[in-house]
Amino acid sequence: MKRRSFLLTGAGAAGVLLVGWGVMPPRPRLGGVDTLPVVDGEVALNGWIKIAADGGVLLAMNHSEMGQGVHTALAMLVAEELDVPLSRVRLIPAGHDRIYGNVAMFVSGLPFHPAEVARHDSTMVRSGQWVVAKIARELGINVTGGSSSVVDAWEVLRLAAATARAQLLGAASLVWKQPANELKVKDGVISHPSGASAHYGELAKVAASTPSGTVQLKPASEWKLIGSAAPRLDVVAKSNGTAQFGMDVRPPGLLFAAIRHCPMIGGSVGAVDVAATLKLPGVERVVRLGSYAGSTEALAVVARSGWHAQQGAAALAVQWRQRPAGGLDSAAILAELERRARDADAGDGGFAFYALGKMPPTDAPAGPRTVMQVYRAPYLAHAALEPINCTARVADGKVEVWVPTQVPGLARGIAAEVAGVSPESVTVHVTYLGGGFGRRLDVDFVGQAVRIAIECGGKPVQLVWSREEDLGHDFYRPAGVAVLRATLGEDGRPSSLRITSAGDAITPRWLERGLPQLAGPVDTPDKTASEGLFDQVYEIPNQRIAHVATQSGVPVGFWRSVGHSHNAFFSEAFIDELAHAAGQDPVAYRLAMLKDSPRHRAVLLLAAQQAGWPGYGTTQALPPGRARGVALHESFGSIVAQVVEVSIVGMLPRVHRVVCAADVGIVVNPGIVAQQLESAVVFALTAALHGRIDIVDGVVRQTNFPSYPMVRLADSPRIETHLVASADPPGGVGEIATPPLAPALANALFALTGKRQRELPLTA
Amino acid sequence: MEIVVNGASRALPDELASPQMPLLWALRDLLGLTGTKFGCGVAACGACTVHVDGSAVLSCVTPLEAVRGKRVVTIEALGSPERPHPLQQAWLEQQVPQCGYCQSGMLMAAAALLATHRTPSDAEIDAAITNICRCGTYPRIRAAIRAVAAQR
Repeated sequence: MKRRSFLLTGAGAAGVLLVGWGVMPPRPRLGGVDTLPVVDGEVALNGWIKIAADGGVLLAMNHSEMGQGVHTALAMLVAEELDVPLSRVRLIPAGHDRIYGNVAMFVSGLPFHPAEVARHDSTMVRSGQWVVAKIARELGINVTGGSSSVVDAWEVLRLAAATARAQLLGAASLVWKQPANELKVKDGVISHPSGASAHYGELAKVAASTPSGTVQLKPASEWKLIGSAAPRLDVVAKSNGTAQFGMDVRPPGLLFAAIRHCPMIGGSVGAVDVAATLKLPGVERVVRLGSYAGSTEALAVVARSGWHAQQGAAALAVQWRQRPAGGLDSAAILAELERRARDADAGDGGFAFYALGKMPPTDAPAGPRTVMQVYRAPYLAHAALEPINCTARVADGKVEVWVPTQVPGLARGIAAEVAGVSPESVTVHVTYLGGGFGRRLDVDFVGQAVRIAIECGGKPVQLVWSREEDLGHDFYRPAGVAVLRATLGEDGRPSSLRITSAGDAITPRWLERGLPQLAGPVDTPDKTASEGLFDQVYEIPNQRIAHVATQSGVPVGFWRSVGHSHNAFFSEAFIDELAHAAGQDPVAYRLAMLKDSPRHRAVLLLAAQQAGWPGYGTTQALPPGRARGVALHESFGSIVAQVVEVSIVGMLPRVHRVVCAADVGIVVNPGIVAQQLESAVVFALTAALHGRIDIVDGVVRQTNFPSYPMVRLADSPRIETHLVASADPPGGVGEIATPPLAPALANALFALTGKRQRELPLTA
Repeated sequence: MEIVVNGASRALPDELASPQMPLLWALRDLLGLTGTKFGCGVAACGACTVHVDGSAVLSCVTPLEAVRGKRVVTIEALGSPERPHPLQQAWLEQQVPQCGYCQSGMLMAAAALLATHRTPSDAEIDAAITNICRCGTYPRIRAAIRAVAAQR
């Protein structure tokens, strides 16, 4: 299918989905005052903001805090527009109203090339974005993911706060009978030169019935908080053991459950002997679990402590059954992906996410000016440090769930479905997340916990997976293979670029699991499969970037930076190969293809200068045995360049230093942005050096951290982060520094050893 | 069975607290001290680090019988709101935590290190802090430990 006809089909489907959407007014995202329940003299001014009697500001927080600092960043937006100190903003959980749904993430899922998006006159881009935004607003799906939280909140939260402020000023004006333009606001106190003064709490009631009039957002020149490295709101609680993660909730009468899935992915539970288990002290019962939102069948053991539950689970004697289609095998899948990619490369197959100019025929004889290579990436597990868990209570037709989740609405949906109650009968408490990285966009464990709780006579039960169950039953970052081909022109730069990748699409599988009502009978092309390949900004006149969507049977999910996580390795290592084939400096080679991309140029130059790359700023000589490599990558609306310095210590690559430059648009909190860039570098380094999940006969070979190793403090490089000043709207932050690390490291290793590695993880 | 946790003798229910039960689960599920975390269960991640008689110990593989008559200290008693441990103050100044899940174990490991090494070298920090942080807060952890050592 041609790309444009696909988009039109998508728009048509949207029309069918939302009968009558064309005549509906845009859904206001500020929400009404009845969206927020009030207690103790609180006054709601819209669906996001309440004013407490003491003048404090209560913000309905719709995003999950999983380390990315979103609670602090969003509170800053509100404090800024309301002119209150950050410490005066308290977070309250947002409910399930549609205004809390994520719009930005769905809009960014459209497969537009950045060049098309930048051309604001493109009717197709604008109408596509409009339609999807409209759908997203109607659906109102609350998701923390896709590095979209600040992007999504940027307009609506500032507007909510500014509107509230305008109403409070209007109230003061009414009460004091003074013109609003003579009023001043400082730290949540409104005053007038006549001597009148009141804090927000004293004016809130009147403000609630005062129209806001025309609301204006603060100009950037007046920002005090936005752009400052305000301390995170969660540091104290996360330094003294009081921060409450999902595993830490302790409702009265709590029972504990351990789980054993069929070790073979997609397999089932056969005969079970529970006698030994039920004899153990502390064990209460065994619960058989079917498949919930993509999970493999399992058995759960309920006991009076987590350890007793684990002992009980270990004592189960079970006949596990392989899935009917046979055991999954990751090596065979990778071989098949390569075959599919090569076939599609030769035959103009796959779905072309981007086509430009005129491609040379694929059967043209390879010459000295053509480069063709095949790149590979393995499956990966998330391994969030807080093991997968969910606490549930089912009693009197009501369900209560405590869960570290990125998707509270989906958690509510599956809890209701499993318990056979309406969504309104389900209360979801979102705790802190001990890491998410995309794993907690799935709700399989919520379904399991509710099913177990149904058997527990109204008592709450906390299901905790062991690390072995986590690594063995994840929704993995898909394995991928790409065939990359370029023809170099007289100047050494590519005159054509053909990339044909193959791998499982994530979004359709995720929809089937979590939002089956949105899953279509036929998969539409999934942008995440080709992101990082089709959307490159290098000025290459002839391109065909296509993807072959496969269905391997391995459960696949979103993993920090999603398609970019491996596609950036493919594309940026290949570009490096081209630079070397052309005999050109890798930085200069890239800059020559970025003539019309000033933001990308600036980021790449900043990284090169700070790293002391020869020819850029002051050259920094490297000690013997050390080399550097570079990579540049745009993802989630932000641009990152990294220079990695590597040597070989023992038999392993040792990364000493990573210089990371980024343009993330307007920076809300530079301290948190620096944290996130550092975080993504270390996360990516673990994957680049150690990350691989192997599946044999349906069983994942890696079982715990000894066989799925992590970078630790001793292996952690010096990381230097630098931001390009920008007045563009905020881009994503949490994932953006993950993609360029692997290619920069691979390129450094090539510079060091002369050996080009085209498969992850990397070796010495 | 009784164990001494954070300066107080705590009774554990006999029908559950067997000598082989790991300290971690007794702390979390029998005593409600949830600041100490479960991460791997096989002494590979350090999230469960506590102090036993002042030394850093991985509580997920430490049976209750091994701590009888000894002093167990958990993150809940590392400092107090009025008097935070210098490392907790440094954690704030360096803005160390992200998701925060590993930080109890990190702090307990770092506090045990500083108790025996007033100004640890980088190599000593590397050797002592082998805990896993999935968010990659390592550079800030190193900086925070150095900052506390530098004040001494």
